[in-house]
Amino acid sequence: MATKSILNESRQIERAVALIHLGARLQVLESETKLSYERLLRLYKEVAGRSPSKGQLPFSTDWFLTWQPNIHASLFLNIYEYLGKVSALEDIDAVMKAYKLYLEQIASCDVEPLLSITRAWRLVKFVDNQMLTMTRCSRCGGHFVTEPYENARNYLCGLCEPPARAGKSALTGGIMVH
Amino acid sequence: MTNEQILSEIREANLTYLMLAQNLIRSDRAEALFRLGMSEESADLVANLSPAQILKIASGNMLLCKFRVDDDIVWNLLTNHTTRKVNNDATTRLHASILMSGKFAEAM
Repeated sequence: MATKSILNESRQIERAVALIHLGARLQVLESETKLSYERLLRLYKEVAGRSPSKGQLPFSTDWFLTWQPNIHASLFLNIYEYLGKVSALEDIDAVMKAYKLYLEQIASCDVEPLLSITRAWRLVKFVDNQMLTMTRCSRCGGHFVTEPYENARNYLCGLCEPPARAGKSALTGGIMVH
Repeated sequence: MTNEQILSEIREANLTYLMLAQNLIRSDRAEALFRLGMSEESADLVANLSPAQILKIASGNMLLCKFRVDDDIVWNLLTNHTTRKVNNDATTRLHASILMSGKFAEAM
């Protein structure tokens, strides 16, 4: 790729700005654009008006398998895969579009968006690397994020068979069972 | 409703639908395909219609947009008719959204 292309660079900056607006961590920007760390840092401060959060990204797949996050992650991934099937988008563009559609959908259900853009991006990477996959629920037929070795024949999703303590949280904006 | 009224209402619905579809497809194709549940080929056709063509297509005796929910489970979730383990309105709608976005991905 021609690294000196101004047009290409402007596209990279545009993408980085869009990601910062969605609340992406600096590591996402570093991985998805070809801009240098210093430039990204400056861009981040300029767009977000503050320094980026420090520290490592969450690296575990467990979060996506707990009840409430799993529902959010499954909704996002279903939208992402849909977009991937109907159009030839670059991965990161598909992640951004799917994330926006996810936010819309969540807002229409009066639920707080639990999935951040960084988590969503991470989820796609986990699926690409076969650390997570989607399994079809044997009751409702919906596809949900699971471990790759989930028993597909007896799998029931968290919405058909919510665990005993699910949805009891007193926090507002969570997914409720009753 | 007289027959004439029915025809003019159908025409209006068709016009609104086609114009909305065209706007959506032109502003963001991938997103539009998701929102409309349309195949790529149909989206190309709709995107390229001229206003005169839209008018012509819209004035028939058939609606051009089809019912998107063709599944009992999704329908029950959307209307909340059945009492299930989960009977929170927002949550069942969320469940329906997951099923719908998954179903259409399957059909492609």
